[in-house]
Amino acid sequence: MTEPLLRLENVTMQFGGVTALNNVTFDVKPQEILGLIGPNGAGKTTVFNVITGVYQVSSGVISFQGGSLAGKKRYKITKSGIARTFQNIRLWGDMTSLENVMTATDTHKKSGLLSGLFGMPISRREEKRDKARAQELLDFIGIGEYSDRLAKNLPYGVQRRLEIARALGTEPKLLLLDEPAAGFNPAEKVELADTIRRIRDAGYTVLLIEHDMSLVMKVSDRVVVLDFGQKIADDVPQKIQEDPRVIEAYLGVPENAS
Amino acid sequence: MINLRDKGAEVWEKSGRPARVAIVLASIAAVASLPLMGGTILNTPIASYESVLVNPVAMFVLMAIGLNIVIGKSGLLDLGYVAFFAIGAYTMALLGTRTGLNTWEILPIGIAMAMFAGLILGVPALKLRGDYLAIITLGFGEIVRIIALNLETLGRSEGILNIPTPPPIFGVEYAFDSHRIYFWTLLVLILLAIWMVRRLSARRAGRAWESIRQDEDVAELLGVPTFRYKIWAFVLGASVGGAAGVFYASKTLYIAPDNFTLQISILILACVVFGGMGNIWGVILGAVVLAYLPDRIRFLSEARLLVFGLVLVIMMNLRPDGLLPRKKREKALVVKEKS
Repeated sequence: MTEPLLRLENVTMQFGGVTALNNVTFDVKPQEILGLIGPNGAGKTTVFNVITGVYQVSSGVISFQGGSLAGKKRYKITKSGIARTFQNIRLWGDMTSLENVMTATDTHKKSGLLSGLFGMPISRREEKRDKARAQELLDFIGIGEYSDRLAKNLPYGVQRRLEIARALGTEPKLLLLDEPAAGFNPAEKVELADTIRRIRDAGYTVLLIEHDMSLVMKVSDRVVVLDFGQKIADDVPQKIQEDPRVIEAYLGVPENAS
Repeated sequence: MINLRDKGAEVWEKSGRPARVAIVLASIAAVASLPLMGGTILNTPIASYESVLVNPVAMFVLMAIGLNIVIGKSGLLDLGYVAFFAIGAYTMALLGTRTGLNTWEILPIGIAMAMFAGLILGVPALKLRGDYLAIITLGFGEIVRIIALNLETLGRSEGILNIPTPPPIFGVEYAFDSHRIYFWTLLVLILLAIWMVRRLSARRAGRAWESIRQDEDVAELLGVPTFRYKIWAFVLGASVGGAAGVFYASKTLYIAPDNFTLQISILILACVVFGGMGNIWGVILGAVVLAYLPDRIRFLSEARLLVFGLVLVIMMNLRPDGLLPRKKREKALVVKEKS
């Protein structure tokens, strides 16, 4: 069995008296697409927040590539190879698409403020390289022609995709997508499923939160189901759809479980 | 309303390299010739026109550029900016009267002292945000003034007298009343500050500050070392304030705690907001207007400050984002749709 890329071990997250995650354990294996589903309030976004260091876990261990993430600064977690998108779009609206992605690619620059100020060759070189890389990522996600537009003026669907391109800008090993299809029409969803697969095929690992069952079942290699902060299932999509506990949690059969 | 910023940007983008050099040189020449325009409409009726150009106009411009790094670029509300100005000024006063060092030698020391102060203030203060940061910086500005007011070495309320003028440079004397030469020296400092800000804005630091200003949490989650860049913004802003302080002390020859009140912080903040936060040209314009106007309308005597206040209120209503706001232009979309 391959070494997991990310491992949550008995992770519990409490806010005062509320237990948002209760003893959750699961692995993310390299180069897989892992779907993370559950009814509203099940704790999916909390999982993202504890992985990315927004919250420190109350107990349990999160390890990435074998090392614990406990106490690590958020930007260092990102630098070590985890990047995320946001459920409610949080782009830097007054920057262009390209600048949004370039701010992310800056994560791995060696040159900092002073080498930029004095126009050192390394700064100029990295700037050029990252500009090309950022444009490449925009093209890869299919929004290359919007590179000069301010993020706040972009159509909704493009903003959602830009969130993904920006996260990829940090050159993550693990990409966390928080409801990337929210508000998409069926055609856009099909396109997104294709994009997510292409991202995986390009060598990234994807952890996907999504409410659209047909999308999750179609793209995921494996699905983890949370309900009231607890993991109730962890299996391949076909099995998940037949799991009585999952069906119960959702109070019914997913739309296209046939 | 006419959009000067976009017009300017358009002309600039259409120009080739030689044209740009010409524009820059012509602008510098125009500004450098300002002290020679004393006989024109620019003249300030009661105050000495040339001395107004040096202080407050050029001083305000320099400080506004510095504060703009902190407030406009990074969105950190600093209400104690006068502290760095004071630290630069007292460094000049102390070293200038007690040691044989001259202004040019003290300038880097004063800048370093201000930067160091920015660092010690920034490390604890920048863990806080918004209102809390504003209050801490407000307190810091007052602390520095009160220390000067109580410390024997710093002359208490009498301040420090007989601060030396800068030594001659290329054979030009810095006589107390030859304001032109001070103006031109300040112009060089201002150009250096503009160069620094523009250089930084175009690269990694500029993007980091911009991302922090717009959404600090997201910036951190996308790999921006936010704390480090906030400290940098503070320290660089302080360096400009410190430089202004050194030069101020060396120009007025006498400083006292009364020169460094909260009012200065507020006025510089007003320059930044009035001109257009985040846009260096707007901020410069704002500083010029706010520094020059009170002296230009001095003939109104008592009504002067009332008129000044009215102008502020009316302008901020007409242009709430400042004279030349930050908002960036999108390049013509048609051009991009070639693919």
